[in-house]
Amino acid sequence: MKILVAIKRVVDYNVNIHVRSDNSGVELNNVKMSMNPFDEIAVEEAIRLREAGKAEEVIVVSVGTSACREQIRTALALGADRGILVETDAELQPLAIAKLLVAIVKQEAPMLVITGKQAIDGDNSQTGQMLAALAGMSQATFASELLLGDDTATVTREVDGGLETITVKLPAVVTTDLRLNEPRYASLPNIMKAKKKPIDTCSPEDLGVDVTPGLKILKVTEPPERQAGIILETVEELVDKLQNEAKVI
Amino acid sequence: MTASRSPQDSSRRQLATALASIVGEDNILTESEDLQTWGQDWTRFYSPDPLGIVFPRSVEQVAQLVQYAKNNRLPLVPSGGRTGLSGGAVAMRQELVVSFDKLNKIKSFNETDQTVVVEAGVVTARLQEFAREKSLYYPVDFASSGSSQIGGNIATNAGGIKVLRYGLTRDQVVGLKVVIGTGDILELNRGLIKNATGYDLRHLFIGSEGTLGFIMEATIKLTVPPPPLAVALLAVPDMAHTINLLTTFRRRVTLSAFEFFSDAALTHVVEQSSLSPPFAKRADFYVLLEFERRSEQDMTGAESAFESCAESGWVTDGLLSHTEQQRRDFWQYRERISESIAPFTPYKHDVSVVPSAIPDFLASVDALVAKEYPDFQKIWFGHIGDGNLHLNILKPDTWSVADFRQECERVNDKMLKLVQSYKGSISAEHGIGLLKKSGLHYTRTASEIALMKSLKQVFDPEGVMNPGKLV
Ligand SMILES: Cc1cc2nc3c(=O)[nH]c(=O)nc-3n(C[C@H](O)[C@H](O)[C@H](O)COP(=O)(O)OP(=O)(O)OC[C@H]3O[C@@H](n4cnc5c(N)ncnc54)[C@H](O)[C@@H]3O)c2cc1C
Repeated sequence: MKILVAIKRVVDYNVNIHVRSDNSGVELNNVKMSMNPFDEIAVEEAIRLREAGKAEEVIVVSVGTSACREQIRTALALGADRGILVETDAELQPLAIAKLLVAIVKQEAPMLVITGKQAIDGDNSQTGQMLAALAGMSQATFASELLLGDDTATVTREVDGGLETITVKLPAVVTTDLRLNEPRYASLPNIMKAKKKPIDTCSPEDLGVDVTPGLKILKVTEPPERQAGIILETVEELVDKLQNEAKVI
Repeated sequence: MTASRSPQDSSRRQLATALASIVGEDNILTESEDLQTWGQDWTRFYSPDPLGIVFPRSVEQVAQLVQYAKNNRLPLVPSGGRTGLSGGAVAMRQELVVSFDKLNKIKSFNETDQTVVVEAGVVTARLQEFAREKSLYYPVDFASSGSSQIGGNIATNAGGIKVLRYGLTRDQVVGLKVVIGTGDILELNRGLIKNATGYDLRHLFIGSEGTLGFIMEATIKLTVPPPPLAVALLAVPDMAHTINLLTTFRRRVTLSAFEFFSDAALTHVVEQSSLSPPFAKRADFYVLLEFERRSEQDMTGAESAFESCAESGWVTDGLLSHTEQQRRDFWQYRERISESIAPFTPYKHDVSVVPSAIPDFLASVDALVAKEYPDFQKIWFGHIGDGNLHLNILKPDTWSVADFRQECERVNDKMLKLVQSYKGSISAEHGIGLLKKSGLHYTRTASEIALMKSLKQVFDPEGVMNPGKLV
């Protein structure tokens, strides 16, 4: 069985984000880029399944500029078997990415696709769901546990107010939540070995997918700065402020 | 030259009145608990016994205090964040502790000069944070920077984990305001980059441990923030090879840190924290190196350096950080060593040689401690890229602190002779204070020490500035 893992190159989780002065988007110049943290968890899960003998091959795919090779290499160093880069400099929205992934799914016919529940750049949480719908696969999102049966996957999902366990038919798309596993580190010997693993490159045109954005971004702005709090001396003062300034009581 | 001991009881009240008139009654502490707290630094070998603690709030108050101390031969001990490791801030002979805790303002920032003027009591981490807010960088950093103060850093010329790339505290100081033992206030170098007007007195105060004067304010030069960084953690079978790693990596990447530690150090960190061991198969030693990752080429540079080290048998395994989180996680293995061995009352050696001498030096030290401390656990770590070894000896439960210390001091003498034979330093970055005073002559010649004493006489004629420390 093949597992396909979709990974995204995003601004590193620990980097302070700055909005470009022309409000066209987030400043990416000279900023550290890394693999989307939820996708690290997806890669780890796939490798564990292969190590446990549940899968034969783990393929990672990333859509974006040639720089995404770096994140594919990381996934290969972690243990994935081969990589696919769908290379494009175009602006990419979730629907376009989902369509490209559908094309890759058609080529590779994986029984399982694992990807992050969302990418921390746009926080859309759409790609996995759209892919499942377009490819006619089952979907199990926000997974905190994944058990593979012969032709089913049993997934514990993190939902509002608790956990939900569902069983879905394969082939399926599973999106990962934080608690699914703790990803390993890339070891240098494996990084060296990974250099010999193949990365195939294709373009959206090769896959016959139109990636023209359907949504137009009007403006990106910083969230309003929070005003400093004040410390009041008495309860009376508090009541007064709530009544007369905040007008909430 | 030494100042008189505890003033007579009758004059105590007089003293209290005099001090209160200088700093105000609210800024004096004399409760025994407070005397314990402010009477010592991070060393745990001395019993604090200060007369009291004062918290001056201005340069003028400090100048008056020193005047008073000079006239009344009242010994003063300057006290910063008290994270010092040589007993420099210990008061155990009825000295008056002068704490800089309340002189903690960041006074001004000059964007053009990229300089900041800080009072001595500003905590190191706060200056780091301030620089970050200004999109700049203050590069002096170590595990105690959350408590240590700029004044204490300057008084000890603190080093830390970024020395390899940015130098010591000395290299960041472009101006100093000090109060010397005569009570005079000096303003030194005033932030100038170029100033060819003779003896640079500023540098005399950096590393002087409060024995010539008190640091009141410093003008600090900030620098541009580092580019994204990556860390490699390497498993090293033989510590003799650490310097080969340094040379190999330095040829291919710009290093910003190069640290090493032993498996015993790692074991303590793992036991005392929630961290899991970084490698499935343990090695005897580990090197943590950090480098600037401006482009993908820097990563490939590090990878190929690793490959050639592996071919030579100098490393057996390694990890490379790919995210900022991983970089921070890897640093934990190094940064937590001091705190995780602290419960074992470690006896700390902090010695240095030129980096090229490190392989031979480590081998000699290893032979010495194996022979002399067969039963004590030895924890190796240090800023090895700077030639700096922190060898810590742990106290077995069954030993009393006093016996343990005595035993370590017996061996210490041999250790220091060894350092001397390598033309090294018996205190790389922790200062001399009380703890290492008897060993000063292993690094400084008799004529140097005589000159140091003469200098002290010039700046502190009555011997009231941290007497008994350093020289
Ligand atoms: C966990 C840990 C890790 C450490 N790692 C490092 C390291 O990597 N590198 C390193 O260099 N050090 C290290 N240290 C040692 C220590 O943190 C440094 O020596 C630091 O610079 C001391 O600053 P402080 O403010 O705590 O000074 P204190 O301990 O209060 O005083 C140090 C000396 O300076 C004098 N002094 C203090 N303030 C003034 C002043 N305003 N004017 C004149 N004299 C003054 C004191 O009298 C004393 O002699 C470490 C310590 C700990 C506990």
